[in-house]
Amino acid sequence: MYVYDQFDHAVVAARNAEFKDQVARRLAGELSEDQFKPLRLMNGLYLQLHAYMLRIAVPYGVLSSAQMRTFAHIARTYDRDFGHFTTRQNIQFNWIKLADTPQILEDLARVEMHAIQTSGNCIRNTTTDQFAGAAKDEIDDPRPWAELIRQWSTFHPEFTFLPRKFKIAITGATRDRAAIRVHDIGLQLTANGFDVYVGGGMGRTPHLGHLIKSGVPGEKLLSYLEAALRVYNRYGRRDNIYKARIKILVSALGPQEYARQVEEEWASLDQAKIDAPYAEIARIKSFFPEPDYTSKAFDAAALERAKAADPGFARWVRNNTLAHRRYDHVSVTISLKPTGLPPGDASSEQMDVMADVADDYGYAELRVSHEQNVILPHVAKADLYDLYQRLDKTGLSSANVGKITDMIACPGLDYCSLANARSIPLAQDISKRFEDAGYTDKIGDLQIKISGCINACGHHHVGHIGILGVDKQGEEFYQILLGGRADEKAALATITGKGMPAEAVPAAIERVVNLYLELRTDASERFIDTVGRLGREAFAGALHEPA
Amino acid sequence: MKLLTANRLTDGLVLWYRDGDDLNGWTENAADAARLDDEAATALLDVWKARETLLVAPYLVPLVDDNTLVKREYVREFVRANGPTIGQTALDTAKLQNRGEVF
Repeated sequence: MYVYDQFDHAVVAARNAEFKDQVARRLAGELSEDQFKPLRLMNGLYLQLHAYMLRIAVPYGVLSSAQMRTFAHIARTYDRDFGHFTTRQNIQFNWIKLADTPQILEDLARVEMHAIQTSGNCIRNTTTDQFAGAAKDEIDDPRPWAELIRQWSTFHPEFTFLPRKFKIAITGATRDRAAIRVHDIGLQLTANGFDVYVGGGMGRTPHLGHLIKSGVPGEKLLSYLEAALRVYNRYGRRDNIYKARIKILVSALGPQEYARQVEEEWASLDQAKIDAPYAEIARIKSFFPEPDYTSKAFDAAALERAKAADPGFARWVRNNTLAHRRYDHVSVTISLKPTGLPPGDASSEQMDVMADVADDYGYAELRVSHEQNVILPHVAKADLYDLYQRLDKTGLSSANVGKITDMIACPGLDYCSLANARSIPLAQDISKRFEDAGYTDKIGDLQIKISGCINACGHHHVGHIGILGVDKQGEEFYQILLGGRADEKAALATITGKGMPAEAVPAAIERVVNLYLELRTDASERFIDTVGRLGREAFAGALHEPA
Repeated sequence: MKLLTANRLTDGLVLWYRDGDDLNGWTENAADAARLDDEAATALLDVWKARETLLVAPYLVPLVDDNTLVKREYVREFVRANGPTIGQTALDTAKLQNRGEVF
């Protein structure tokens, strides 16, 4: 877990005091909305369709139980008793009052959190693998590097007004769970340093990132990133918001030329002034020690008996746990995708329960995934059944991780002032259509990702099945895309045909799924692999058949 | 025919202009919004744009007739008027406040 030093505390306290004064001046009429808007956005406060929305940064998705409890407190005290975990591993509260915001930020500062750089054309929250430090397939822990980038990028004077927002993702495992190829910069941690991918992104012109450098040593990471950002900051387009992201620049120059310019810039930098000294890297690494693992006696036979007696538990263990680097532990994903409810939402009670079970079974640590779930990275196998029963009492035991109902969905037009169409009701309809657990398990791994507009916060470009909401003269239509994936074999989905109304989408998806079940070689061939083997066109027809 | 709408500065909630020249003349219930002819609507918009201590971003919503939104505005304004259309906060919220469905 990161630890604030005196500088972090001082910087956040000063910023909060400044914003408190700005809010008071706005409420007193001393600041116009035009003057105030950029100030509130720099503190994560948006005005959405119905109310102010506060987006709080969860650094690389890592949360303590005390921080989760603070979210519950905010939901209960200042909002309508729930919060929304986002695809950037952050949390948003949708019903915040302007006058309450300074107090909320003070409450957050007490648990070393803030909402800075959750908006604006700056370097946003660096994201990473939600199983960092726990996964069996991990090469190295990405969290210290994410923390190093957080410290370097926070209030970086040169990168506070970039041509456009900038997102960095890191993975330290062989399996990419951080979607690094669709970030402005994606970092793959290897045994030989960092492989650096540049120019990925979604939005209206999706691109996969290009590998421009292999083996950047960790101790040189910051200067290399600084060089990459400098080239973008210098040549990124500021004249056209739709062409301002780094992906457009890399595409225009070509990855090789971009890489050459970065090398040239890197060589010209005084790297020693930028890169963190070994002692600082070691200090940051010390923030992320191995938990003091409990050595509870693990009775494998007892676990099997519990699974046999409780099929719901057996399914939950099968779908929601991941192999841990320790034989007697697992990582547990708490699904925030119960049937018929908005993906990623949690009530204050649920947040409190997640904090409590983290204290009781998870070494007080939680993670937020970009799939909008919450993770307990380290849970002793001996505690699994107790944990499951605790979660089950509060609607947190949905056993659908990685399955068709474990959808990503942006807030869409139900909340977002940028959206063209609603996402959440469609996600709810799809989850009801596929609520039969046996059917869902038979389908196996399948990722549906829904965005309510072309900005692609719902990652529709990398959904095995992507859904994009569009507006056609006041009516919502949904375009269906097929064949995307955000993992180490990243690919962009393609649009299959004309859009369809919301009520036609669940049946269309079911037709495609049933065709997949007919065509797959066997149950081990996942949907995305069957689409890859047979081609997307083999499925497009089924989507657009009449119901 | 138009409606005048904005968000309240203090809490961001959606308001609709009913009558009068202070915030009491605005309502959270879109069904009670004044149906304004185009000229009056434009004049009122200018007045309220200048009163930023009370409201944020006032704008006009065009109507086909007294109770029908111009189609291209429909979904967005329906959601603004009724609240999120999802179970957790959704129309239940509107109904709890006796707003019911409008438009």
